[in-house]
Amino acid sequence: MLPYESAASAGNAFILSSSTVGKPEIDDLLSGAGYKVRSSDLRHVAQRLERLETAMLNSSSNQLSFLASDTVLYNPSDLSSWVDSLLSEFSQTSQPLPSLPSDLSELILPNPVALDNSNIDPPTHQQLQSISFQQQQQNQAVVVTAVEEDSAIRLVHMLMTCAESVQRGELPLAGSLIGDMQALLTRVNTGCGIGKVAGYFIDALSRRIFPLANPYAGGSSTAAYENEILYHHFYEACPYLKFAHFTANQAILEAFDGQDCVHVVDFNLMHGLQWPALIQALALRPGGPPLLKLTGIGPPSPDGRDSLREIGLRLAELARSVNVHFAFRGVAASRLEDVKSWMLQVNPKEAVAVNSIMQLHKLLGSDPDRNSPIDSVLNWIRNLHPKIVTVVEQESNHNQPAFLHRFTEALYYYSTMVDSLEACALQPEKALAGMHIQREICNVVSCEGSARLERHEPLAKWRGRLIAAGFRPLHLGSNAFKQASMLLTLFSAEGYSVQENEGCLTLGWHSRPLIAASAWQAVPDADGNSPSSLGLPNGTQ
Amino acid sequence: MSGSNEVNLNESKMVVPLNTWVLISTFKLAYNLLRHPDGTFDRYLDEFLDRKVPANAKPVDGVFSFDVIIDRGTNLLCRIYRPTKGDEPPPNIIELEKPVDSEVVPVIIFFHGGSFAHSSVNSAIYDTLCRRLASTCKAVLVSVNYRRAPENRYPCAYDDGWAALNWVNSQTWLESKDSKVRIYLSGDSSGGNIVHHVALRAVESGVQVLGNILLNPMFGGQERTGSEERLDGKYFVSIQVRDWYWRAFLPEGEDRDHPACNPFGPRGKSLEGVKFPKSLVVVAGLDLIQDWQVAYFEGLKKAGQDAKLLYLEQATIGFYLLPNNNHFHTVMDEISKFVSSN
Repeated sequence: MLPYESAASAGNAFILSSSTVGKPEIDDLLSGAGYKVRSSDLRHVAQRLERLETAMLNSSSNQLSFLASDTVLYNPSDLSSWVDSLLSEFSQTSQPLPSLPSDLSELILPNPVALDNSNIDPPTHQQLQSISFQQQQQNQAVVVTAVEEDSAIRLVHMLMTCAESVQRGELPLAGSLIGDMQALLTRVNTGCGIGKVAGYFIDALSRRIFPLANPYAGGSSTAAYENEILYHHFYEACPYLKFAHFTANQAILEAFDGQDCVHVVDFNLMHGLQWPALIQALALRPGGPPLLKLTGIGPPSPDGRDSLREIGLRLAELARSVNVHFAFRGVAASRLEDVKSWMLQVNPKEAVAVNSIMQLHKLLGSDPDRNSPIDSVLNWIRNLHPKIVTVVEQESNHNQPAFLHRFTEALYYYSTMVDSLEACALQPEKALAGMHIQREICNVVSCEGSARLERHEPLAKWRGRLIAAGFRPLHLGSNAFKQASMLLTLFSAEGYSVQENEGCLTLGWHSRPLIAASAWQAVPDADGNSPSSLGLPNGTQ
Repeated sequence: MSGSNEVNLNESKMVVPLNTWVLISTFKLAYNLLRHPDGTFDRYLDEFLDRKVPANAKPVDGVFSFDVIIDRGTNLLCRIYRPTKGDEPPPNIIELEKPVDSEVVPVIIFFHGGSFAHSSVNSAIYDTLCRRLASTCKAVLVSVNYRRAPENRYPCAYDDGWAALNWVNSQTWLESKDSKVRIYLSGDSSGGNIVHHVALRAVESGVQVLGNILLNPMFGGQERTGSEERLDGKYFVSIQVRDWYWRAFLPEGEDRDHPACNPFGPRGKSLEGVKFPKSLVVVAGLDLIQDWQVAYFEGLKKAGQDAKLLYLEQATIGFYLLPNNNHFHTVMDEISKFVSSN
């Protein structure tokens, strides 16, 4: 220990001065008491202490116990930041949720518009703190931001605790946590960032814990219609679906090189957003376009409409306008496993491309007594001998057997995705894209068994499955990479990144891949045996 | 004032220096987090938040300190402060307990405050206070790390105080030239309360204590007094909080007329005819329990004991923690005179 220097004092009492005599602005006496505060900060600290006192007086004992447990995160010697940090535990502002259209059916389908982004701050933290705030970083806002950020982080802790109690079957505890979280949510900005994601997850957990009719189980036809609208807005608001389409189209285009009759089977037609680009690319092919057949699979439409056919007609219009011979067939099925290959009417002379954009994972839930649907579907795909199978899936593991692991993984995944959505300035695209994500989250978190369709698995697992099912990977070439990178330049938001992963491409936000695209070909049978008798290794169901 | 959720903080800010206000308010706030309504106490957080300093055998401002475990059965620790003389070199380890070589060396046993629940001998505020006392009084000061509530209720703190007194009494190196250890008992807040009860035991067992110094001693009783009602919540302290600490210290089910809390109350004992040490009772005029402290002084006087009351009108609790006010210097002078007058 260094010897202290003593200072002159009034009267005959000693004053112990701190060893930081060289920095006169530190209050000596408080330093002797173990607190480092600048004299110039004393007023500020005093004011903060007063506000803390009031805030604590008006808190519940629950809130105080959270404050107590978080107090160990802050250094008590640094009194100025200590009081600031404690005060930030009490959030002061909350913004109302963005207004959403009350009737989705009144929405007209938006035209693709180039996004216009400006004044977006790129996020700078890792993982859960990788949520950017759109407020300007002024002095006041910094305190408010810190307030919300710390409350939001506390929300995340509570979410994990709640998920844990759900896993242990302690539903009363989980239920009470929902109440606490909803209270805390009122103090956080739920319009963006962690607050928004937390809101989604609290909602999803609440649906799991409190047995109401769960509208996100999927299957109802009005839900299907709404889902299409939300999907379309998700397509517009961020590049993930566009990346999926462009990458798959590039691979399909290359696979169809030299083919005169081509047949594309789309596992989820939606509004056919993927196909105008392919039709146009085929039209411009050197040597002229092939004859293009498109079979689009989709859910049956409500009200006796034939929405599949309507989309087909529009695509046919487009094809005619660019002189591509085009034929369309719609296959209505509420579940992909209900589709049989004979429904697709594939001609053996056609070059077939099977296109699955975020559909295969829906086949992973199964009754353990029967063959899992994924196996039978992969089987008949293989039996079509397609020139190419394009697969795009969410790059995350939301299909783990333990609820808590799924929950945690989903929290990280969707936090990143929502974070990237902040870059979008278009409304109502952004809001409805948010709802699309929210529905996905609800399915992952609150549904089980056959109702849980969103059983995402990462690329590594899909590789294993597809190879075991008798496929071999096709490298997505440099053209696909270039295409994807060019796509990203349309979005002036910095942060998206395309990565190559053993011949596959991923699109992610910062270093976290969120979507993975891959292409496959059926391994030809050496001796003509049907592949359905092969024993297939199981992933988790 | 009671029942209101408003805290009138402006008043306390006007009577103490800003850094004192910040210090005491920080404690108040931190302590609020530690007390639970069900009587439990967050000891880990209390220890985490407490600013601590180690002992230092190198003299600082003329005082060096070292820690001694005086009872291995209860792990009772004391921190001993010794003033150095002029140009004396710093003691090495075998010299820490070198005999005191003056004619008369006061040995002050000190019990820190904290309402029986908070603080330790190595709390920065108390380490600093003890150094000042040792230096001002040119005394050896023995600070006792007594067991705290609510983990250790009455009478643990008194037992530890008594053990420290016996230990000090038995240390030959602490004897003045006439082979007697000249012992004074001192303490603030709960420490002041401990002083009284240890002195009682000393008297009953024939151990000589030369004087008691009680700084804002912690006493109370079942009834509510005028000062409690007048000052509730105004100067850092509220009745509710005081009650919590008594509930944490007293045996379960006991009320505040227990003699530990209220020595001259309905269940107390008169000290008439008892050879009790002379007492210096310091009372802060803005301390809400002052009526009980003054009642203690009057109880001593009524029993014919030698007692002096030092009533500091504008002082709040904790005024003696920082040397930035007149009360501090007044009290240091009084204490110094008190231990040198024998």
